Amino acid sequence: MKAFSNVHPAVCMTYFLSVLLVSMFVPHPVLQAEVLFGGALFCALLGGRRASFRDLGFYVPLFLMVAVTNPLFSHNGVTPLFFLNGNPVTLEAILCGISIAVTVIGVLLWCKCYSFIMTSDKFLYLFGKPIPKLSLVLSMALRFIPVYIRQSRRVSRAQKAMGLYSGKSIVDRVKNRMRVLTAMISWSLENAMETSASMKARGYGGKKRTSFFPFRFRTSDGVLLAGTIVLLAVTLAGAAAGVTDFNFYPRVGVIGNSSAAVAVYAAFGALCLLPSALEVKEAVTWNYFVSRI
Amino acid sequence: MKKDILAVFGIVLILAVLINGTHVQSVDEYYLTHIDDITPESKTVTLSIRCDTILRNYDDLDPALRSEEFVPKDGVIMPPTEYVLRDGDTVFDILERAVRHGRIQMEFQGAEENPFGSVYIQGINYLYEFSCGPLSGWMYRVDGEFPSRGCSRFELCDGQNIEWVYTCDLGQDVGAEWIKESGGQGK
Repeated sequence: MKAFSNVHPAVCMTYFLSVLLVSMFVPHPVLQAEVLFGGALFCALLGGRRASFRDLGFYVPLFLMVAVTNPLFSHNGVTPLFFLNGNPVTLEAILCGISIAVTVIGVLLWCKCYSFIMTSDKFLYLFGKPIPKLSLVLSMALRFIPVYIRQSRRVSRAQKAMGLYSGKSIVDRVKNRMRVLTAMISWSLENAMETSASMKARGYGGKKRTSFFPFRFRTSDGVLLAGTIVLLAVTLAGAAAGVTDFNFYPRVGVIGNSSAAVAVYAAFGALCLLPSALEVKEAVTWNYFVSRI
Repeated sequence: MKKDILAVFGIVLILAVLINGTHVQSVDEYYLTHIDDITPESKTVTLSIRCDTILRNYDDLDPALRSEEFVPKDGVIMPPTEYVLRDGDTVFDILERAVRHGRIQMEFQGAEENPFGSVYIQGINYLYEFSCGPLSGWMYRVDGEFPSRGCSRFELCDGQNIEWVYTCDLGQDVGAEWIKESGGQGK
């Protein structure tokens, strides 16, 4: 059991929203690095070491692709490195591309952590009352992706068992994927029909129904919520005051090191490392108790 | 295995076409060090680039550009300079030659990407469209008049005077009056 999974859903939601909000709307190199580091650490703690290494194969190419794409389209900047078809490729554009790539991957990692922690029952608990239809649709749509992956593995295994495209060549493997994909499209249409039939059979949309959720708002949740809000407030106040203003064009700006700027970096850094710290603390406590037995 | 070799061959072919289509130049190669010399019998035009209007609207300017490096104190990015006019040269040809000779940064949208079928100048000397308010951008004047044509469609004659000016108010602060009447497009 992960420590952050036991936190009250409302606190989790506030926490994830505040990290994502800052990381997407405050473009500053230090904050972006903190988002990436915090996200990667938390992801590694949640998913385990082996899964994290496997993910690197996805994130590193993505990083390079985003970082290289920006200088191809943005030609502003005072330091041209060379000219491509008459257009300058500038140092500033490359740095800006790297910063965008860091943000994209940081946000992806945090979204991954979100899907680990905020299971669909928690989402329904939070939003089932105020927006019943939308929250049901959202939780079903989010659930669809893991279900889709599981089903596609199943189809692919079945095809392999039948001896289709079991060759080692890459072309064969790509062909197999395409075949699985077509099977998946018809399966997903069928699945949608079945889902709606099943919902009808269970009386969805009929009388008002009650539900049970095992969530309790504890004192520790209150402390965590207060901490999140304070750290977010410090960060947002800094952003509103222009402490985190940063620009890449036409010349890369200077990373501020005034006391206000350092305070903002520290506050947001603490916010990003909060769940990882919680996990570590939980693991230490657990090991301590185990050693006492 | 045979199929894999074929696939690799196809990828290599695509890469070769891509690499063949790109043309890499070093910085010094790109900026011309030598342009046509002016001889008594050569046709010439005069070109200047100015951004005085920014000095009057300094508060609207993007904070990152508030430096003398990007906005000169007198507003002159390039003083009136004579350039040799080759046959069929448009305003854009002269501007491109001038900025490459003068090592001035310039970015443009090519004629084929532009809905008006003409080159659009996005920025000169790091001053881009919308850098100084929502109505700002580059416009050009030939002998004191704003042509209602794109700069790569305006062919020049001997002795004409081209001025590239930065506007912060859709041309009205640099004296382009036709915009009021026709509501037409700049550049």
